[in-house]
Order: sequence, then structure tokens, then C-alpha cells
Amino acid sequence: MASFTPYTVPAPTTCPAKRANLTARPPPTSQGLPEDDEDHAFDPRSPRSNYSLYPLEYLLYCVDCHQIRCPRCVSEELVTIYCPSCLFEVGSSSVKTEGNRCTRSCFQCPVCVGPLAVQSLESAPEASLLSADNAASSGPTGPWALTCSYCTWSSSEVGVKFDKPQGIFAQLSKIRNGSNTGPDVSLTAGDTSPTKREANLAEPESTRARFSALRAFYQSQLASSSTGSSMAGGMGDYGFSSPAALTRIMSIYSGSSSKPKNKATVMREADIPNEGFRPINLDESQAILKLRAGGYDETVTMAQAASQTEEGAHFADDLWPVASLLRTKRAKRCPACRHILSKPEAKVSNTRWRIRLVAGNHIPSVTIKPLPTPGVPPPNVLAPLKPIQYLLTFKNPMFDSIKVTLATPAKTPGRFASKVTVLCPQFTVGANSDDYDLNEVLKAEDRDQRDRRRDDDGSHQVEAGKVFERGRNWVSIVVEVIPATLQIQPTPSLLQKADEPDADPAPLREDEDILEIPMFVRLEWESEPSQDQVGVAPSGREKDAKEKRELAYWSVLGIGRISQD
Amino acid sequence: MDSNDDPRPTLAHRSVSNIRASGGQSSGRESTSGGAPHTPLRPLSSSVFGSPSSARAEEEIIIIELGCRKLRIGFAGDSTPKRFVAFDAEHDKRAGDYRAWGPGYEQDWRKRTAGKAWGSGHELWQLDIRGQDLALVGDRLERVLRDTFTRYLLVDSKPRRVSLVLPPVAPLPLLSSTLNTLFRNFQIPTVSLLSSPVMATFAAGVRSGLVVDMGWNETIVTAVYEFREVKTWRTTRAGKKLLEETRNFLVNALQGRTPESQPEGEPVPNDIISFEECEEIATRMLWCKKSEKTPAQANTEGLPTLHEADESDTVDPAEDSTPTPIHLSSCRPSRTIHVPFSRLAEPCETTFFETRYAPACFDDDELPLHLLVYRALLQLPLDVRAMCMSRIIFGGGCSNMIGLRGRIFDEVSLLAQAKGWDPIQGKGADAYRNNPKLKRNANKQADEGAIPIIQTDPSGTSGEEPVDEVEEHIRQEKSYKAPTQGVLRAIDSLGPWCGASLATQLKVPALAVIERDIWLQQGVNGASRPNEIDVQAQQKQQRQSVGAGGLIRGPGNQASNWTLGVWGAV
Repeated sequence: MASFTPYTVPAPTTCPAKRANLTARPPPTSQGLPEDDEDHAFDPRSPRSNYSLYPLEYLLYCVDCHQIRCPRCVSEELVTIYCPSCLFEVGSSSVKTEGNRCTRSCFQCPVCVGPLAVQSLESAPEASLLSADNAASSGPTGPWALTCSYCTWSSSEVGVKFDKPQGIFAQLSKIRNGSNTGPDVSLTAGDTSPTKREANLAEPESTRARFSALRAFYQSQLASSSTGSSMAGGMGDYGFSSPAALTRIMSIYSGSSSKPKNKATVMREADIPNEGFRPINLDESQAILKLRAGGYDETVTMAQAASQTEEGAHFADDLWPVASLLRTKRAKRCPACRHILSKPEAKVSNTRWRIRLVAGNHIPSVTIKPLPTPGVPPPNVLAPLKPIQYLLTFKNPMFDSIKVTLATPAKTPGRFASKVTVLCPQFTVGANSDDYDLNEVLKAEDRDQRDRRRDDDGSHQVEAGKVFERGRNWVSIVVEVIPATLQIQPTPSLLQKADEPDADPAPLREDEDILEIPMFVRLEWESEPSQDQVGVAPSGREKDAKEKRELAYWSVLGIGRISQD
Repeated sequence: MDSNDDPRPTLAHRSVSNIRASGGQSSGRESTSGGAPHTPLRPLSSSVFGSPSSARAEEEIIIIELGCRKLRIGFAGDSTPKRFVAFDAEHDKRAGDYRAWGPGYEQDWRKRTAGKAWGSGHELWQLDIRGQDLALVGDRLERVLRDTFTRYLLVDSKPRRVSLVLPPVAPLPLLSSTLNTLFRNFQIPTVSLLSSPVMATFAAGVRSGLVVDMGWNETIVTAVYEFREVKTWRTTRAGKKLLEETRNFLVNALQGRTPESQPEGEPVPNDIISFEECEEIATRMLWCKKSEKTPAQANTEGLPTLHEADESDTVDPAEDSTPTPIHLSSCRPSRTIHVPFSRLAEPCETTFFETRYAPACFDDDELPLHLLVYRALLQLPLDVRAMCMSRIIFGGGCSNMIGLRGRIFDEVSLLAQAKGWDPIQGKGADAYRNNPKLKRNANKQADEGAIPIIQTDPSGTSGEEPVDEVEEHIRQEKSYKAPTQGVLRAIDSLGPWCGASLATQLKVPALAVIERDIWLQQGVNGASRPNEIDVQAQQKQQRQSVGAGGLIRGPGNQASNWTLGVWGAV
């Protein structure tokens, strides 16, 4: 059992934040999530919960709406687009024309995703012996290739060699797509004379070349069918942009004169390769022979195929170097009030944030640890049906004291219902204050706590309705859980597995043995009315009247794994 | 779109102005003028479909091809999607769950998949959507879309139009869930619906075709004629069945059994080899045998001749028994099995063809592919069949299997050669046809002017074929080329996504356009059924807009009655 790494950490204070810590769910109204949350307890077992639970660190907080904002309910703005490999900043217009990949020489290995370097294929042996500047002057010459220093894949394996070591992206796309097609090459409508087209377009082989050939074909067809009947086209325009009555009249009058001409041009199908048409080559015996000769190792893995920019790679020599994907820095706004929630520095190399309103500054953090009992080490896994007490410590980050109300279902949802009792569901956590150095305070408190525990163990009483321990801006309360037993009752849905000869453990679904408590947290506090919301503040009081606020959300506490024995 | 604020009065107008206007500014200006009659702009006949760069600059339309296992997402006008993503169980993880990077995660797959249907984590939706949590489908879709928009499309949350490429007869609840996700979670003003087979034919450069989409849950055969779906046939012989066969094949190979010794009716356990590994091996190693007889290659001009020369020195792959090593790491303990190369074609054989059984053995939903394609062609009207049979388009994930497309094509050709295109088959029909007595009668009847029993009787009428004046007229057109028809021919398509990208860039109107505001107000129940639409009004619109070769069909949807196109039919 000890192999379940994330949840068997002996001290749950360092338990991974993802589950054992607080995961909050944003209010459903901002989401379009079903509104049934009012009536039903949040179910951390339901598959949908995975999409609405976020660790505290992922959450932002809008100080205007006083709401938690999760990554699903923010609107984003691009700040910077850059290549993560060369840190070169890319303009958003060039992203539109050049695509979402770095157009310099940043490439990833298609086999192992390591970075590729440009290397000469014919390195002169003495060049390596020379000093650096000499080598640069005499230099390795000849064809160049992209090579991976990790798995020694080389682009020459797929027959890709470059004439010069610069501008690899352009050279590669030329090799791949033929010379004629940049992303924007297309023929205007006048360009349909066959001579020019044939000069322009060789047999289109690549997808992109075929695509532009098809586009040119359709454009020429559409153009010819509308220029062939300019009169009718004009009439058609009347029809388009006018009410129906007018159209009818117009078509009555214009019908006789222009209709025959209009009908004469038939839009035809593409039927030569230059128009993007291609009969399929159904004889794949070559590929079968290749598969037989190469075997399993000569085919690409699905992960490799998925990292390619085009689909359809099957054999190892279908792999192309992958230009590295650009990345963005984004500013996030509240969707309701457009308030900026986070804004990074625009500079690529700077990883700081200008504005970042993290939810951790506004809602209390929760840490869980087993209630220390003298002489008994905290258990690794929860023994079923054996009551165990946990300490929940709420730490208030705000400068106002908050009143916390907790609610949990008496039994956790799901197949294995554990009983949960919050001994003190209502308490007040003192305000944080900024006249201390926070680190020092925390250290001192920790020290105090440890001293106190060492001095008089058991001085704190586990008592219903009472706070277990209290500090300046934190409160610990006790939660008692009785883990469910994981014995599967013979329910019909599970019977299908029962006849298996394998002595497998009961078909416990993934993570079903984790004891997770959905907990509804409601915070109430009074704060200074914010300056920009003076009008909203309750009137009829003095200027320094405090504004009452509340915030409520579901969170999920992952206590630990229940033993399966 | 600035006109989004008040879509109702300008709706039809605006969608037309989008078709016609060349720049975003002009469309905006036009649409502000409301529905009042006014002097139209000059017809922009040639520059309407002008340079794509201006199209890109004006608006980026996002094309989403929705599949059960795969999504393709990208911008209109691109030749390849910016991202193709296959759903897998990893997408279901909670944010901040990094256990996948921990040691031993790969080996723990049995725990993760316990109690779930085989491969269910890898599907966006199940074929049977009854009782399915469709909101979960929306959640999964949203996560993938958000991730793609952020990481691959590099777009912000500005409103963008979306074109959705849908398989034929996508279930209505699913469509509703998808549209809900798009409209509620993303700032999308309009969603256009496009039909996947129609787009596949569009991307092949043809106007008609028989699209064989070998997907995940089903293989869907759709006849498209003049960019309209004529009819759809389906069979469950598709990717899912292939993977199950692959699993059975691998498990048998692991346990040293032959498929014959596998007891009938006893299911092969799911937890011996993981789904991922089965899929990996199925995509990498499986291949498809050639048909036993090759059809006479008389008039298939599109097909190159076979390269028999290279094969002469080696053994035919179908008889090759050299063991091919395949390393399996998900079984306990991990092993390398050696499978004769010829046997690697077995899963494909049993999944798609099953030639050892008579055609009568199969249920309607599990016809072998070649039979389905043949019957599909057979059921089509004569003219449509003539067009479709020479435009067979293969698509879908399974069509990438080496040799499969050729095999289906050959089998269909064989069937056509053997049986012709006579829908009446069987011993009785044969006896009837071979009975000279009856035949004479039939001929006599035909001569007498009664309805001929067998449709095609070319010898009878070839002499005095009436001259069709319209046909003559068309033939005299200078750029006229007779369309290829009547011969079996397979052509290559760039795929539905590329077709949609092309069509959207060329501003071909979609089958249905759904506005955000109307959807949020009315939901799926607000959509009119296609048969409730005023047919006359529709026809009028279509007639008006015949301009560009019939491709442009009118605005179609008024605010008062909007439809979900062919998907809204119940």
C-alpha cells in the first residue's frame, strides 16, 4: 500500500496541494454549470467534478465582484507571443501569416522531442581540431542537417538536407511543399490561363500544395461563373440585399434577358492534378513490404505521429522535424466586470507579474493533518470503520477577521460512504495583520505550537462545538471521519466482473479508495468599502461604515487512502 | 462582429453581406443600414472570392471537426488543422494532478480502468447516448477547446465565428450539448454547421461522391450528389471493433492460443493488455490483405498497374510466416511476442470483411464494408449511382490502415462484376434470368412498350437514341468535359476539415447558421424542424442565389425560423 505515493505522505501538511489541500469550485453562475448545486452536495466522485475543481494556486480573485475566478471563467488577452526555444518575440500579425510555429531555426526532434541543432553533414576532420575562430573561418561546409543530440536522429535520415545553415524553416517548407506554395500563394481570378497555372504549379504533392491548387480551382470556377454573367450577378446582388418583394420584381424583369447566359456556365469538377484532383493510389503493396521489412520499430508511435504538424505519418521516414510551437503570455480579466485579474510583464525574459490577484490572498487556506495522539504514529492509510480525527487549520490571509461556516454531508457521496463529523462547524478566524514580518510570525507560531505540544500534550480537548486551537490568524478544528469499508457489496453492476478467474482485487474504480470530503465553506466578513464602489456601499451610515461581504464555495478535502484490507 | 448587438433585423442581411462583401469594414457598414431597401453596392464579381490574405485579415473563423475520438481544430483557409487531438483518459484529470509523471504510473493502468467500459475514457461520447452525462461531454470538449485555443491557435477570448463539421446524423442531444458549450463558455457569435461527407467531397474537388468514413464507432457510407447528402448507411465495423479484435488477437497470441481454440462466447478479459497499447499496435502494425481474386482492371483509368516485379523475389505478404516481434509492455510481465507477419492481417479481416460468412448472416448494423458499399451503390438512383461509383472517397481513421482502402475497392469491384447492378438477386432471380422462355417474354414486353423488368438493356435502344437538346447545348460549351461516371473509381480527398476550411474561406454558406443570442434564448427546442420551414421561401432564396454554380444557397435561416440543418430532423 505504501506505493501510492501522493497520499501516503506521513505528514499531510506537505501533502500535495492538488487534493489534500483546498480545491475550490467557482460559483456556478459564472459558468453555466447546472444550478443544482444549491440543492445537492457537490460530489467529488462524479466525473464532472474533475473539470471544476482547481487547487487554490490556480484560482484568481476579482476584487470588484468579490468572486473567485477559475481558469474556466476568465477572459484572456494576448500580451506577448514568443518562441519558448529562442525567446524571440513574434508579432501577432506574423502569427496570422506564418502560423503558430517558430519560423527561425527552432526545431524539435520528431522522435524524442529534444531540440535539434544544425550540423554539417561533412565536417572536415581537421576543423574540429582547430580553434574556434579558425573553424569559423574555414568552417564546415556542404549540406547541413538538423540533428538531435539526444537520440542522434538526423534529418538526413528522411532525406532532408539544407544548403545553408540559416533560414531552416523556409528551406524546410520549400522542401516539404515544393517551391510554389507559401501559405498565401493563391491565384487571383484573372490568373486562370492554363499556361501560367502550369508554370506555377507543378504536380501538387503535399497537402498544402493540393489545398492551394483546389482553392485556385474553386476560385477560378466561382469567378468564371459570376463574370460570365455579370448582368445576372448584378441582379443577384439586388436580390441579396433587398427585401423579398423587390427581388421578385427584379427577377421577373431581368429573367428574360440574362438568364440564358447565366445558365450557360456550369461549374465543373476538378479533374486534373493541377486542380487538386487526385485519384487515389490504392495499391499499397509497397507499404506492406516496407512494414514487413521494417517491423514494429520502423513505424512511428502514436505520440510521435501526434506531435507532427500534419497527420498521416506511419513509417519512421515520414517524420519531419517539428518547428517549436510558439507560446503566449496572457492577461486575464474578470468576465463580469472586466477587471484585470492578472497581467504578466510583456518582456519575454521577465517572468514576473504586474498584477496578479490570487485567490490565496482572499480566501483562507486549509491544511489537514491527523490529530496527534501520544505514542501512536499517524497511520499511512485509513483503517476502515475506525474513527480517526483530523485537524483542519484555517489560515486567514485577509486583514479582516472572518466568520467561517462549514457544512459537509454526513456521509461522503459515492459507493463507499464514510461518515464525517465536523466538531466545530462555525468559528471566527482572526485578522491577518501586516505589521509583522509574516515569515517571522509563522516561524514563531510554529515554534510556539511545537513547544506547547511538547509541554502539555492533551491539554486541548476534542470537544464538540469548540475550536481546538487558535492562533492570531488561524484556527484549528477537529473533523472526525469513520472511513467506509471498501468491501464491495455484490451489486449487479459489478457482477459482470465476478466470474473472472483472475484473483484480482475487487474492481475498485480509480481513486475510489481516496476519502474525499466535499465541504461547503461560507465566509462572512466586514471590510472597508472599496473606493470605486462608493455608490454601492450601504448608505445611511457614516463614512467608515464597514461593508458586509460573504463568499461561499465548495471545496474538497482529500484525507487519505482507505486501506483495502 | 459589431452587428451582433442587434442581430434580429439585420440577420439575413448580414449573412448575405458576409458572402458578398470583400472587407470587414464594408460588411459592418452595410449591416448598420438595417433591412430597408437601399442602393446595393457594386457587384464585386471577381474580387468577392479574392485574395485569401484579406480574408484572413478580416476575420479568423475557427473550424472544428467533431469526432468521437478526434477533434481537428484550426483556422479557415489553412491547409492543415492547427491541432488534431485524440481524446484519452488523461484529459479527465483534475487540474494539478501530476501523478501521471510519477513512477509506476504506466503500470497502474489496470487500477485506472477498472470498472469502466473498454476504452470509454478515450471517447468523447459513446454511440448510445442514452443515459450519458452530456454535460460531461461538454466539459471535456470545453477543456480541449480551451487548451487548443490557448496553446495552438494562440488566440485570445475575442468573439470568433466557428464552423462545426459534423458527421451525418449526429445525435441531437449531443449537438445541443456541443452548441451549449460553444456558446456559453466561449464568446462565439455564430456557429455554422457543415456536413462532414459533403466537405470531404468538396475537398476532393468533386461535387458528388460516395464517402466511406471509417470512424471509431461506425463506418458511415454517405452518398453525396451535387453537394447534398442523399442517403446514409452505417455499420458497426469500425475502429472500436478493430481494437477489440486486436485485443483478442494479442491476448490469444500471448496465451499461445489460436483464435479457433478461443472458446466461443467467452469474452476476452480487458485487463491483460491496455487499450493504449492495443491502439498503438493496431495503428502501427496491422495491415490488410489483398482480395483473393483481383478484379479485371479494364477501365479503371485512375488506378496504376500493379508493381508485380518487386514482389516476385519475395514471398507474398499474405503467406509470409516470418515472425514479427512485437513488444508488449502493458501485460504482466512485459513480453515480446512473435507473430507471423501474415497473421497481422487477421484482425482487419475479421473486423471489416468476414468473408467466410454468407451475406445473409449479418445483421443490418454489422454488414461487412465491401457489402455495405456495394449495397449503398445499388440502392442509389441510377444517375446518382453513376456519379457516385466513380467518386468513392475513403476517410476516417481506419482508412489509414495499409491496404484497407484498396481491399474494399477491389471487393466492391468484384461484387459489381459478379452481380452487376441488379437489385434482384438470389437463386430465383438467376433462374428467372437464365430461363430463355421468360427472357424472350421480357424482351417482347419491352418491345411492346411495357415497363422493362431489368432496367439496363443497352442493346435495345442504342439505335434510335433521342437527341437531348439541352445535353447537346452543354456539350458545345467550350470548357465542357464530360464528367467521369459509370466506372468504379476511388479518389483522394483532403478530408472534411480541409474541405470546411476551403469552403469557409470561399464563403460558401453553411447548412445552418446558429446565432448565439437566439440559441441562448431558445435552446435546441427553438430550432424549426427542416420540414416546418416554408419551402417556398427557401426555394426562392435558393433560386436567387444560384449565382456561383449552386454552391451558394441563400441565407437560409431567418431569425424567426432557424434550423439545425439536417441534424435537426427527428
